[in-house]
Amino acid sequence: MQLNNSAGTVKGKSSPFYSSKIRRKKLKVNWALFMFVLPGFLVYSVFFAGPTIAALVLSFTDWNGIAAELNFIGFSNYIELFTNDPIFYQSLTNNLKFTVSVLAFQTVLSLVFAIMLVKNTKANVFYRSIFFFPTVVASVSIAFTWNFMYDPNIGVINNTLSAIGLENLTQSWLGNPDIAIYSIAFIQFWMHTGQMLIIFVAGLHSIPKELYEAASIEGAGKWHTFRYVTWPLLAPSATIVVAYTTIQSFKAFDLIIATTNGGPSYATEILSLLLYHEAFNNFRFGYSSAISVIFMIIIAVITIVQFRILKSNDVKY
Amino acid sequence: MKKRMYVLLSILLVVSLSLMGCNSGASTAEGGSSSDGKTKTINFVHWRGEDNEAFSHLIKKFEEKNPGIKVQMNIYSSNSYQSKIQPTLLSGKGADVFASFPGSRFSVLQKAGAYEDLSDQEFLNSFSENLLKAGQVDGKQLAVPFQLVYNQPVYNKGIFEELGLTPPDDWKGFLELCETLKKNGYIPLLWSGDISAGQFINPMVMNNQPTADALARIEKGEVKLTDEWFVKTLSQIKTLNDNGYLQENPLGTKKAGAASMLAQEKGAMLAHGSYIMATVKQQNPDIKLGLLAPITVPKDKAKYLGIHTATFMLGINKNSKYKEAAAKFIEFLTQPENASYYAKKTGQLLTLKEVEYDSPALKESAKWVEKETLFQPRYMITVPEVEQAIVTAVDDVIMGMDPEEAAKKAQEEVNRAIK
Repeated sequence: MQLNNSAGTVKGKSSPFYSSKIRRKKLKVNWALFMFVLPGFLVYSVFFAGPTIAALVLSFTDWNGIAAELNFIGFSNYIELFTNDPIFYQSLTNNLKFTVSVLAFQTVLSLVFAIMLVKNTKANVFYRSIFFFPTVVASVSIAFTWNFMYDPNIGVINNTLSAIGLENLTQSWLGNPDIAIYSIAFIQFWMHTGQMLIIFVAGLHSIPKELYEAASIEGAGKWHTFRYVTWPLLAPSATIVVAYTTIQSFKAFDLIIATTNGGPSYATEILSLLLYHEAFNNFRFGYSSAISVIFMIIIAVITIVQFRILKSNDVKY
Repeated sequence: MKKRMYVLLSILLVVSLSLMGCNSGASTAEGGSSSDGKTKTINFVHWRGEDNEAFSHLIKKFEEKNPGIKVQMNIYSSNSYQSKIQPTLLSGKGADVFASFPGSRFSVLQKAGAYEDLSDQEFLNSFSENLLKAGQVDGKQLAVPFQLVYNQPVYNKGIFEELGLTPPDDWKGFLELCETLKKNGYIPLLWSGDISAGQFINPMVMNNQPTADALARIEKGEVKLTDEWFVKTLSQIKTLNDNGYLQENPLGTKKAGAASMLAQEKGAMLAHGSYIMATVKQQNPDIKLGLLAPITVPKDKAKYLGIHTATFMLGINKNSKYKEAAAKFIEFLTQPENASYYAKKTGQLLTLKEVEYDSPALKESAKWVEKETLFQPRYMITVPEVEQAIVTAVDDVIMGMDPEEAAKKAQEEVNRAIK
């Protein structure tokens, strides 16, 4: 009765029943090993899972951050968020503008710079360090520096434009609601391009030289070599860069709070800033938690979609 | 046996690490009695990092005079102050004497029952009575405002003297003053996108509003931002911008940039407050500064000449174990000798009566104590969203929005907040 054997009714050595039992036995035998993951599990529970669950619970309350008791109000916060809060939609739109512009420029330019600086010559290592430098500077310090540079009256950008005869290009970089979010996106891109460049350089170094030699023998030009060799094999690096840049841009907070604090007239308010303002300016921790739950879902969806798209380009060799 | 030992050791390790973590947190955050059981340690929490040296000196002096009390000073940054002080007060540990902002932030802490009633404290007699109001609720003195700020434009007296100008006493005069300054190559009113809207709206509404507490009545639904007086206020601000009396691109300029322009004498007035005078003086020690407020109505209809804010409100945590020691510390800070030292060292004007000021900037501000000024209307608002809606309306008219439309948009935000 082969069927019965495979169903595990007979204790043959090849039966799944036997092997699953063995597996369970092994787990029991090595139970002590779980203690090694316990510290990590505790840290994750206390600092990640705990606050996430707390935010979810608070999102159904009208807690003001101080009251000793929680007053549950059902889905009211979510209903208000989606039906009666234009600032939420404005923040979401600003988030998309910010993320898309940073993602496009940061990914493309860091890849271009990485290709230019891929060889480990002294000059290239020096330039990579220069590009990387803004990453290690505190973003608040960078924000203050750029506040001065962007100043429409005494800032170096407008003064330089005026000095070279391009006065008509001078702007109120952080005061004009149409361009303020892009001005901050530029700072973000300036800060992190060096970081992404390093990831791409590492990815480029991991591509076997033999593939380039083979492409050369086959007569492939520079574009075809990039299109059919470099880019597909850079997929793991690109996945990291795109996912990291997206999450980083979506969560951008310190840079915006230090440059415009969401103004003028909510033109640079993004979701992370909105939930901060609702919690710590307006003392609406329940409402702020609802925003954070939505925020978390958006980031999770974008990240999963990105990983799937970029994973499908992954090449194994 | 060996495996059991591993399990036990692992548990021991995790528990030890957890306990070590708990212990280190507790020893730094909590006050309490010392090992001899006699010395009480009180925590003094505030946000003014720039006053660290002055307070450290005063704390040392206080501890010498009160050997049984130690003061542990904890300074949080002003941006995150409210978010940190709330849980600290809620826990009942870590803050015995604490500072708070007036207005909505004070209101939130007060509603949570954070303040001990100070009504019976003798040190209240050291304060100017009318300046204590910011810390009063239902006839009880819950906090004492320690610092005094005037939230009205700072002006360059040298430029005014050079052009033969004096601070005007009506709206027509204010527009003429701006025009003269503009014609002579000065930016009449410097503006910073991050601060000025919230500051300048105060003197602009002080004489326009129907009652002194009109902004406070907005959150009760008794007054609307679409009312004529508020639309008029926005129109007046728009006029200043449309006539070129603010610098080009005012919203893109930040506080530091605007202060630098006043120090460089590119502009004649700065829409900030008395607190900026010391910074400007530091950049240009020769500059002579004064305070003025735009009077938005005819002279005979002006009720107020300026705006004041009594801030840095000191209170005692209702859950403190050492309320008596905490009160002693506040009383010590209010003594004329100690208050004068603090004022001199920090450049702050104080709400106390017998304080001697020696810097020109403080002497200039002190002149305003005798004038008829209104407590900052914006700080009378207890709902933060209402406050934000008003500030955003000012930004909107500077960006070119029609005053009526900006007022309507602001009222919609108010309606959402107070529903």
